[in-house]
Amino acid sequence: MDTAIDLQNVSKAFGKFKAVDDLSFRVPKGVIFGLLGPNGAGKTTTIRMIMNITAPDSGAISVLGHAMDRETQNRIGYLPEERGLYRKMKVIEHLYFLAAIKEVDRPTARKRIDNWLDRMELRPWLNKKVDELSKGMQQKVQFIATIVHDPEILILDEVFSGLDPINTALVKEYLIDFRSKGKTIVFSTHVLEQAEKLCDQICLVSKSKKILDGELKALKRHFSKGLIHLSIAASEKEVTALPGVVSCQPLNGVFIVKLAADVDRRQFLRQTLDRYDVAAFSDREPELEEIYLSAVQAAGLEETRIIE
Amino acid sequence: MNWKKIFAVIRREYFERIRTKAFWIGTMLIPLFFFVYIGIQVATSHKTGGERRIAVIDGTGSLYEPLVADLAEREKARQAGPGGSRGIHWVLERRPAPADWNAAKERLRQEVLQKKINGYLIIDPKLLEKDSAEFYSTSVSELVTSNQLERALNHVLLKARIARQGLPANLASELERRLDVKAFKVTEKGTAEEKGAGIFAVVIFTVIMYSTFLMYGMQNLKGVIDEKSNRIVEVIIASVRPTELMMGKILGIGLVGLTQYFIWSFLAMNLSLPGITSRMSSTDMGVPTIPISTIVYFVLFFIFGYFLYASIYTAIGAPFNTDQEAQQLAMIPVMFIVSVWAFFPAILNNPNGGIAVFVSLFPLTSPLGMFLRTSLSEPPVWQIVLCIAILAGTTVGIAWFAGRIYRVGILMYGKKPTIPEILRWARYSPGKAPQPAAPETT
Repeated sequence: MDTAIDLQNVSKAFGKFKAVDDLSFRVPKGVIFGLLGPNGAGKTTTIRMIMNITAPDSGAISVLGHAMDRETQNRIGYLPEERGLYRKMKVIEHLYFLAAIKEVDRPTARKRIDNWLDRMELRPWLNKKVDELSKGMQQKVQFIATIVHDPEILILDEVFSGLDPINTALVKEYLIDFRSKGKTIVFSTHVLEQAEKLCDQICLVSKSKKILDGELKALKRHFSKGLIHLSIAASEKEVTALPGVVSCQPLNGVFIVKLAADVDRRQFLRQTLDRYDVAAFSDREPELEEIYLSAVQAAGLEETRIIE
Repeated sequence: MNWKKIFAVIRREYFERIRTKAFWIGTMLIPLFFFVYIGIQVATSHKTGGERRIAVIDGTGSLYEPLVADLAEREKARQAGPGGSRGIHWVLERRPAPADWNAAKERLRQEVLQKKINGYLIIDPKLLEKDSAEFYSTSVSELVTSNQLERALNHVLLKARIARQGLPANLASELERRLDVKAFKVTEKGTAEEKGAGIFAVVIFTVIMYSTFLMYGMQNLKGVIDEKSNRIVEVIIASVRPTELMMGKILGIGLVGLTQYFIWSFLAMNLSLPGITSRMSSTDMGVPTIPISTIVYFVLFFIFGYFLYASIYTAIGAPFNTDQEAQQLAMIPVMFIVSVWAFFPAILNNPNGGIAVFVSLFPLTSPLGMFLRTSLSEPPVWQIVLCIAILAGTTVGIAWFAGRIYRVGILMYGKKPTIPEILRWARYSPGKAPQPAAPETT
């Protein structure tokens, strides 16, 4: 897979405070990549360095195969965490302006904006001043502004913060739509549930350091620790009594079962099916929160609660 | 530098400002004030014209008739002159010399208060020995009125004294002919007559420069702070370099200023100027003739000065989040600009003296200082060149410094930074990421 963004041993300090410490990760093209971690972990600084807004003290960053330059900047859609709009500008003028500084001319911008207006239900607001728009409407304008130049990579810092549930669902839908067009999306969030269903790849950071990164599915498998979700017409006692079962915990009507290391799962399932009615049998996928906590522990860092 | 992007910024700055009501109200209010001012001038100048009814008590008994004749003669001479019929028409009323001067004065006072007469002139023989007479009116401050009366009276008195000595009567006008000292400015191209209006025009040009530096400089500061408090700046910085954004903003706001001047001069040419010039030609000042060199220097120092102060204001605005936080530092350029006024008399008195040379070379005062000097005298060419060199160097230096502070400052939210912190920002590594092949660059 081609590389969209590559960070090698990137560090950045502000005075004595190390904001990012020896961070490396690779974002392949065509994926949704989550940069995850608690507030103050260095996500925004990392994103700003990718955008060439601040420069790293050491390390190298390449975007679309080379160091970020003006031409590359025009191929990226960036939505910073601190995002706002000129309050007194008309919505359409504002979109034209943000397109113009990406070197998109007005007719082209107009065509692209038109495509999004109905989808976002923004058309009646086009000639209104930004001031007169609700917060949710302004967020839609910001989102259109981020994609008006048809970028290859979207970089979104805390994209879901401040979005209502409807807009959150909409944005998730757009992001998946974007990926299906072969575009790359990098987004940061401190709310892990938001990344859970969306990300193909993740990088977890805490206290300026990377804890782990990689493909989310592989990570989940790795952190499943041989645990199995079992939905079965049997009691906890009966399940524990099954051959090969080390432990069994009921959770919301299913059992989380740990099998002995030498047990063949297919054989275990066959034997169980002979005795009981099994509705579901699957690898238990650990939630991101759980992965994060065990990774933090493994990294020897003290535990940082990720949910405030 | 990507001029396409700079142009987009200029375009936004320009049109968004031109579209505001505040711009048009400001643009229209100032000429309106000017018209009202001129209107008041015209209205009050009518007062200096018109009829003056003056009662005269002539204690000498011999001065009244010559005075009436003299005033009539002056009026006739004036009507023949270029000013036309405007001016004062004197109507004198003779009152008999009283036994009790004080009672007579009191009676006349009542008449003035009842508006039967505009004033009264007392020629007391006793007073006259002490070279004095008395003129009473409701508005003694009406300089023209009392001046004309005084001049006429002096002339009449002189004639009388000459007659008393048995000298020829025409000696009076001979003796009264005053020497008119005309002021000429010596320049390398020769000599040119210096008129009061020349200085008047220079002052107007200076006021224009001065207010532009303050008003539109401040607009730059406000613009920078607005972008920060709106949280828009990071979105823009992802597409436009800080120096480009700064450049676009300064140019855009400068163009708004030029538009305003264009509207004003258009209004002036078409509405008020004919009135003003006809008024001026009727006074001693004469129509201002503005030398081309003054205009060239004006444009030159105007542009340099604007860029200098706009960069200073941008640098001041960048670290702060509200106008209030920036206020303290924003006073610094104001102080320098205003200080030129304090030096104005010194420059006027001695345009090539030490103070004038310093003010015209020190970069924070030189746009105004050197402009004043070039229009009042002819400073050495090397000083003008040095001034422009220092000014250009300082502008580039401050723009560079402002750019660096701007780059860091626009991303700083939250607490108000201290000045040492701001200075440290200027030393941060520039915003160019190193190449992957050479990861270490310091």
